[in-house]
Amino acid sequence: MLQNPVIRAAVAISLGAIAGALSRYYLGLWFNQLFGTEFPYSTLIINISGCFVMGLFTTLLIGALRTISLDTRLLVTTGFLGSYTTFSTYELDTAKLLQQGSLEIGLLYWFCSAVLGMVCFQLGVICANFFQIRNE
Amino acid sequence: MNSAISTIFAISLGAIPGALSRYYLTLFFASRFGTAFPYGTFFINITGAFLMGFFTTLTSKFGISQVVQLFVAVGFLGSYTTFSTYALDTSNVLQARGYKTALLYWLGSPLLGFISIELGIWLGRLI
Repeated sequence: MLQNPVIRAAVAISLGAIAGALSRYYLGLWFNQLFGTEFPYSTLIINISGCFVMGLFTTLLIGALRTISLDTRLLVTTGFLGSYTTFSTYELDTAKLLQQGSLEIGLLYWFCSAVLGMVCFQLGVICANFFQIRNE
Repeated sequence: MNSAISTIFAISLGAIPGALSRYYLTLFFASRFGTAFPYGTFFINITGAFLMGFFTTLTSKFGISQVVQLFVAVGFLGSYTTFSTYALDTSNVLQARGYKTALLYWLGSPLLGFISIELGIWLGRLI
């Protein structure tokens, strides 16, 4: 059964998704304890760190990790990173901040997530390139 | 059942269909509309935001149990939508289609996501 590529892909994504969602939940609880729940630091840290790893990993896939199997790629990118980061909670956090009447903080969170997401993604790309050039 | 174990089960069981529907929907959108623009992730994030608004409003209205909340909101919707692929898509669109399309996708996603979560909240209150 595990020889079938369709089933292998589904299993790889599922395994990555379980790990991703659970780390999002438990890291989120931990960040809430550390930083409080007034500002949604937990979702912000999770989303931008996920963007960093996505930039890093997808760049390594073109270079140093290009021999890695399709199943492993799906496990890490679509499964783990896709589930670890979340767009729906990001919008929910924004809506909650605005409901509480903090317009500036809501807009700050909303905009900074999108900006920092791209910045961290690019940082990941740069780190991967730096690592690959040094090892050539 | 022990609450820590039921938490892990609820999130995991939600995460599997969430990530798989994201994967298959992305493949479907790519085969239907091509890969020049990330329609798949766009559609997924917007609909996921709508469902999140709708579900959390119903939750506070009808007092849905903690396990179901973890299953739907943290497990399913959290895994169905994705922020890292949104960044990856933006970077890919920037390289393939230039900054105008990339800017449209980059700003359009959070903007429409916000509108649709507000729509979801509004619909949840209406029921």
